[in-house]
Parts: sequence; C-alpha cells; structure tokens
Amino acid sequence: MAMMAYDERRILEMLHEDDISRRRAFESIVNNFSEQLYWQIRHMVLSHDDANDILQNTFIKAWVNLDSFMGYSRISTWLYRIAVNETLTFLNRQKATVPIETDDEGELSIAERLESDPYFDGDQTEQQLQEAITTLPDKQRMVFNMKYFNEMKYEEISEILGTSVGALKASFHIAVKKIEEFFNNID
Amino acid sequence: MEKKRNIKIEELEARRPFSVPEGYFENLTQEIMAALPEQESIYSTKITVTPWMRIRPYLYAAAAFAGIFFCIKAAVGISSRNNAAQVAQTEETTIYSDEYIDSFLETAMIDDCTMYYTLVDAN
Repeated sequence: MAMMAYDERRILEMLHEDDISRRRAFESIVNNFSEQLYWQIRHMVLSHDDANDILQNTFIKAWVNLDSFMGYSRISTWLYRIAVNETLTFLNRQKATVPIETDDEGELSIAERLESDPYFDGDQTEQQLQEAITTLPDKQRMVFNMKYFNEMKYEEISEILGTSVGALKASFHIAVKKIEEFFNNID
Repeated sequence: MEKKRNIKIEELEARRPFSVPEGYFENLTQEIMAALPEQESIYSTKITVTPWMRIRPYLYAAAAFAGIFFCIKAAVGISSRNNAAQVAQTEETTIYSDEYIDSFLETAMIDDCTMYYTLVDAN
C-alpha cells in the first residue's frame, strides 16, 4: 500500500478511527518525522547505534501513548518532547554507569571516540566542536543543537522544552561563548 | 609556541559531520513500524471475565450487609443487656454448629469479640 501524504488534520482524524487507519496514520507520522528526530538525537548521543535505539523507543512510546495525545500541540512538538525525554534519560543512565574518575587508560575521550567512529566524517575542527558541545550541560546542549544544527526557531524550541524564548536565547548565547572559549583554550 | 585559535561559531559552517549506514533512512519507516507492538495488545485487549469476577461484587455486598446486620444486632443487644437475664429465662438457648460459625466469620468479616456479643445477644 502506498504511503499516504502527510496531512496533519487528516492524520489526527485517522488516529481516532479503526486500528488500520490508526496504523496508516502513524506510519505517515514516522515517515515524516523520523529523519529530523534522528538527527536531533544523534547530535546529543553521537553514536549511530544509540541514536537508532532511542529513535525506536521514541516511536514505540508515542504509539503506546497515542490515546493520551489529544491534539493540543502539533504532532512534531509532541514527538520532540518524547525524544528529548528519552535522550535525557539515556544520557543520565550513561553518566550513572560511566565511572567519574578515569585514569589515562580509562574511557576514551569524545575526540577519540569520534575518530574511531566509521559514521563520523568531520575534520579536526568539527571533532573539536563536538567535544566542546559535550562539555555543555545537557539542556543547554539540546538548545544549541536544535538552533545551530537543526535551525529550529526559538518559538518551536520553547514549545518543546517548555522554556521561554528569552531564556532560550540567553542559553544559546552562553553556549556559544563556552564553545568559543573551549576553542581558545586549545593549544 | 603555537598560536591560540580564535574561532567564532558564526564563521563555522554548521555542517553535520555525521553519516549513517547506507540505505538507513530508506528502510527506517518500515523498521520502526515493524518494531511497534501489535495494535490489539494496546487497544483491543479483551479482558476475560471469569465466573468468580462476575459474582465477586454480589458476595462482597452480601458480606457487607451481613456485617451491618450483625453489628446492629450487637448494638441493640448491648443496650438491652439489662434484659438479658429475662431473655435467657424466657427463651431457649440456641446451639450453633461449627460450620455455621465458620461461614459466618468468613462472610461477615467481624472479629471474635463482636462474634461473641452477637451470639450472646442473639439469645
């Protein structure tokens, strides 16, 4: 069966219809948003495998909680919120399992990890930029990635994260300063 | 000594330095859809109603009524305790079988003390 064109109004109607219509509507949602959600997640977790797992979980959560989505927000906002929560949960779990103190032979640095990653094709500056971004607090990092790489509007980010546009602008500005400072401190 | 780099974020090209396995996005929708739990398991889960589930509310209601009935009886009995001796003289003592007491305890959900007063006052 051919994939239906993305029409949010029709999709919202179909989500309240029979099981087959629901599944078709959800397939259209997945088709429309999976790639952009993937990149949002990937910029946060860096590894393709982790991003893929989180993306799958995001859609499973959305599917299972479909009845709780009442259509008060846009579908994209709802999905982003789930993806953000899933990503933050993953990062917190990751921090909890990685020992805080590592010796020279311990954990690989972000730069080393990226260097050995077959799905990272950035140059040295891009590698360092990723390393600088990982030094930011998770939420600030999220804001920076949404704005810088995904070119999202502040209003859109505000809806997803529940933070005011003013606070987001300030957060992005601070993030930029921190990253530039990181570069300036590299010998 | 190497000169420190003065990098401005706006001057960098905001390029994604990541790639994905070949054909990843082409098959992504199908993969995600295949990983979803079956619709039936979420929305159309049929709850099997057992006979016990059917009669349970009636049993509870019966037990509650029995409990209330015996409590009222006990209360009335206590207030008329002064007449107990008179009642004992005029009425015959009833012998309760163990089965009756067991089933009564099970359904009425009262403690031994209330049970004692109930049986004494019933006479």
